[in-house]
Amino acid sequence: MESTPPEEVYVDEFDPKGHQGCYIFTLDGEEDRPTKRRKTKGKQRATEKAAAEEEKCPFPVLLEGTEAESTLKLRYRTYCKLWGTQEKSTKAILDSFNSKTLDDVSAFVRDVAPEKFEGKIPTALVLAGPNIASHELLFEQLAQRIRNQDRTGPVVVLTSKDATNLKTALRKLIRDATQQDEGVDDEEEDIVRKSTKLLNYDLQILQTWCESHGGQKVTIAVQDSEAFDSNVLSDLITLFGSYLDRIPFVLLVGIATSVEIFHDKLPKSTIRLMRGNKFDVERAEECLAQIFNDSMTSDKAVLRLGASVCDFLLERYRDHTQSIQAFVAALKYAYMSHFYANPLSIILGFIDSPDGLGDVLSTEHVEAIRNVPSFRRYVEGKLAAKEVGEVRKLLTDDNYVRHAVTKKIAESRNYGIELGQALAFLEIGRSCTLIQNKIPRYELYAKALSGELQNSPAIREFLMSLKRMNSTTLLNLLENVMQEVQTPAITESLRPLQEKIKKLVEEAEASGGKRNLISEFDITNNTLRGTAVSKKVRLGEQKSSLTKQDTEYSALVQQVYTIAESYLTANFNTSQHGLQNVLLHEIFFYDLRSPHSAVFAPKPRSTIERGLSQPQDYLACSCCTSADGEEVGIRGTQPPTSIIYQLYLESGALINIYDLWSAFYSVIAGDDEDFDVPTAQALFYRSLAEMRFLGFVKHTKKKTDHIAKLAWKGI
Amino acid sequence: MTDEMLPAELLTTLNEQFPCRAPQIRRLAALVGTDETPSPPAIILHGLEATGKTTILRTFLGSVEASYTWIACHECVTVRQLMERISVGVTENVGGGDAGRAGDVCALGVRLSGALSGVERKHFLVLDRVDRTREGSNVLFAALGRLGEAIPSLTVIFILSVPKLRFLSSAEPPHIHFAPYTKEESIKILSKYVRRIPSQDIEEYTEADAKEELYVWQKFCGTVWDSLAKGTARGVVQFRAIVDEMWEPFVKPIAEGKYGTRNYSSLYLLHKDMFRRETNVIDTVVPAGAGEKTVTKIHDLPYYSKFLLCAAYLASYNPARQDAMFFMKSNDFGRKKRRGGTTGPTKRTAKNRKIHRRLLGPQAFPLERLQAIFAAILPHRLSSSADVQTQIATLTSLRLLTKASATDVLEASTKWRVNAGWDYIRHVARTVKFDIEDFVAE
Repeated sequence: MESTPPEEVYVDEFDPKGHQGCYIFTLDGEEDRPTKRRKTKGKQRATEKAAAEEEKCPFPVLLEGTEAESTLKLRYRTYCKLWGTQEKSTKAILDSFNSKTLDDVSAFVRDVAPEKFEGKIPTALVLAGPNIASHELLFEQLAQRIRNQDRTGPVVVLTSKDATNLKTALRKLIRDATQQDEGVDDEEEDIVRKSTKLLNYDLQILQTWCESHGGQKVTIAVQDSEAFDSNVLSDLITLFGSYLDRIPFVLLVGIATSVEIFHDKLPKSTIRLMRGNKFDVERAEECLAQIFNDSMTSDKAVLRLGASVCDFLLERYRDHTQSIQAFVAALKYAYMSHFYANPLSIILGFIDSPDGLGDVLSTEHVEAIRNVPSFRRYVEGKLAAKEVGEVRKLLTDDNYVRHAVTKKIAESRNYGIELGQALAFLEIGRSCTLIQNKIPRYELYAKALSGELQNSPAIREFLMSLKRMNSTTLLNLLENVMQEVQTPAITESLRPLQEKIKKLVEEAEASGGKRNLISEFDITNNTLRGTAVSKKVRLGEQKSSLTKQDTEYSALVQQVYTIAESYLTANFNTSQHGLQNVLLHEIFFYDLRSPHSAVFAPKPRSTIERGLSQPQDYLACSCCTSADGEEVGIRGTQPPTSIIYQLYLESGALINIYDLWSAFYSVIAGDDEDFDVPTAQALFYRSLAEMRFLGFVKHTKKKTDHIAKLAWKGI
Repeated sequence: MTDEMLPAELLTTLNEQFPCRAPQIRRLAALVGTDETPSPPAIILHGLEATGKTTILRTFLGSVEASYTWIACHECVTVRQLMERISVGVTENVGGGDAGRAGDVCALGVRLSGALSGVERKHFLVLDRVDRTREGSNVLFAALGRLGEAIPSLTVIFILSVPKLRFLSSAEPPHIHFAPYTKEESIKILSKYVRRIPSQDIEEYTEADAKEELYVWQKFCGTVWDSLAKGTARGVVQFRAIVDEMWEPFVKPIAEGKYGTRNYSSLYLLHKDMFRRETNVIDTVVPAGAGEKTVTKIHDLPYYSKFLLCAAYLASYNPARQDAMFFMKSNDFGRKKRRGGTTGPTKRTAKNRKIHRRLLGPQAFPLERLQAIFAAILPHRLSSSADVQTQIATLTSLRLLTKASATDVLEASTKWRVNAGWDYIRHVARTVKFDIEDFVAE
């Protein structure tokens, strides 16, 4: 590759134009050729090109072509900026997410030696979960960590693609292991010279390398153990086992399913060679929760997802993919399509400093703002409040709208922030009391946006359990809330109560040594008695058994309860505080479900089936649709392939070609007695070829003159 | 017979080192002999795993100071690598000059005869675990066997587990059989490694203590052999691993002073349960006790993947002609085969006894059938999207689903097969509340 000079000579002698099939004739094209050969210039050009590329905006001009170029560019830049920040924080979460597993595994690699395990290969089984997409990241992190931070020796990550057979796997292993440290060049050459005699898949090369690098462990990470051919894997492990006295191997095995399946895969004699420990990776849900909280409910988030997109993404995550990467991709797509198609999205760029916004918004923008449903609702609200002058100004004065929007955007954004905080409060509260049925914040979020949370059991349960809390859990809860939620609205009012309860507990401790104050509402403990009367009696007894501090505490609990209740109802009440009432919520909440479902979960099969069985849905022609809109059967006017398909649906697993043909002919000819047979045949052949191309039919040897049906409708 | 060729004390030390192997060592001594006596061109040592073939031969050759080259055949990936190793090894050991490489058996013969031509001493080429050579063929082994005939000063020693008739395709060379150790022999060998009873309060370790320990150890070894190792771990190495693992919990009462060393039978009764469990016999990577301290988090497959897996299992283990009976929604969905309304046991013995389908292994099925069953067993309707196909692909790369025919993946007639056992599938089905038992054909 690097030896360019001979090539140059060759090129000079050989005129490529002489062998070219076609030419593009350019008058001043001479200039272009020589520069191409120069590598340095090419690079320069590439960077220039990249710079130009960056300036070039891939977004289309909106507002029926009236959008100014400056705002177009602004839209693109805003997108780049906002997604850039979001991506960075997402990546940080992803990077830090595996840290515990990384710590554990790297400690394992550092400490183990075959002697500890009775001469068996030290093996770490990394249970990485069924999300294959995240494995690569995990193993890359592991390799980086062991290679650069722990410096225990070379790390080789083997994937099933590298290991189609034993030789290629060994070749890659040896190459990767011996080339990893470039620190000592002269020594390196020595080894190469010594090992020229050896074949490149001979582990003795690695052995020689290990002898010259004393104390280095060779870590082999098998990334996808399931996908490995079990023979290759067991051969590899057996080889490692027999070389173990000369090469200190450490094995990391990534397992996506379960240890049992891994055990079933390998022969017992191979399993006997390994000994070690297993390491669990954090569950993907935790990671999803963190990323979701960061991108949706944190204070920094600018663009948030609406309820239906959110539902779609979470459902897809839970039921189909369980992949964080897919979720992040969908999030990026949401950002992209929001800025791609919504001219008003430039407003998001002014969220921190709304000063310049008024100048940027053109007349068309203002008109677009007036068309947004939330703006209409806003105006109607003003009208209902009899602020007619205001309404007139909003509808006629462009500058007034610009001004109003500039003023209002901070408020609209605060809606999202407040919602996030309220959800954080609710989640923390629930996690302190109702440990069994924990609802993660991401599920609460979608519910809150669609207004389902208002009277939901999620809140009721929490408030009820709040009343029954004893002082220890309550203090714990308050402590958590103070730390996690930075909303003055709730923390300000709760702080004095927290102080009071603390004092009360200290008093109680000083006087009677009782650390835990119970609330008078807490009657769940002793409800052994069944009848209402006995319960009442019991209640009375219990009340009388409460100490003075308990009673005081109960009063405080009542106060906490009231505050929490009013806070939560205020935030989740749709009639007063719903998303609908937020001006320009369309800009701040992206809520278009169909682009996502079309892009991430397309339905090719049902689309093709529908197109073939009901072509009128797509053609919308008068001939195929009956007058009253009813479905029609097979008609000669439909496309021939569609006719064949509908006949095909009615047949069994094997189709007689002649029967199919005669049915086809009778349909296509209709009442026409002398329909041209060759034409019909040509159509028949072509349609059948199309069917075969689509994978519906196949030749079969089971029966002569028959074709096999391969696909059934509606699966 | 030929003992006098070797110093007697050498044999005694060897016999001490490796008990119960006297006949084998005597035969080795006869065949290997000294430099003056001739040796056969090839010798075969055979015996099952962990019977001392490799160790004894290596020690023997070392102690008689024979000139030998040791090649571990199971470490060689290809025949070429094996040949090169042999030629390099022999040349180095004999002290010849470096002269090219030997890529195949013919070249090897030439190289070896060249290297060994000027050497007076006998040379032994040991091919350890020769039956585990990859790419090895009968022709190769026969040719290797002939090396000793072609080169007078060379003797090739093959070590393998089970001898095949006419393995070397020549007049049978002398075989030395390393028989598996019997119970008594195993215990005798293990008695060389008596483990101590870990008790804290004894300061000095007396002769009497050692004797007591040996007594308990031997008794214990016998019990382990009879209860567990006899059926599952006859190799002395495995036997020892089991004994090692069980020793400490077993003697804990003695260490704590609750039991004396002599009432072994009551100690056995105390630990009776230990000899019934199989945990120490089953090989696992993670020892059973170590993983339990951490709460295992369950990594779940996605919801629909589980149903796909169940569908794949049903497609593999149910006969296709019964699908209509199990999955048609029209006739009493989800019910098992309805046996007619007859009363009383009308069990007729089938003409030919059927083998349980689960024992026959998974059968191949086309993808279309999997999808149809998938649609039928879902509790609600799901319009098939690309996500379902993706999940099938994921299950394939997890090897829970494998392709059973050689055609392209996208081909509609490609057959697939489930690759997960009944226990796993049942567990998966339970997590999605799907009663898979109702759908499995008997």
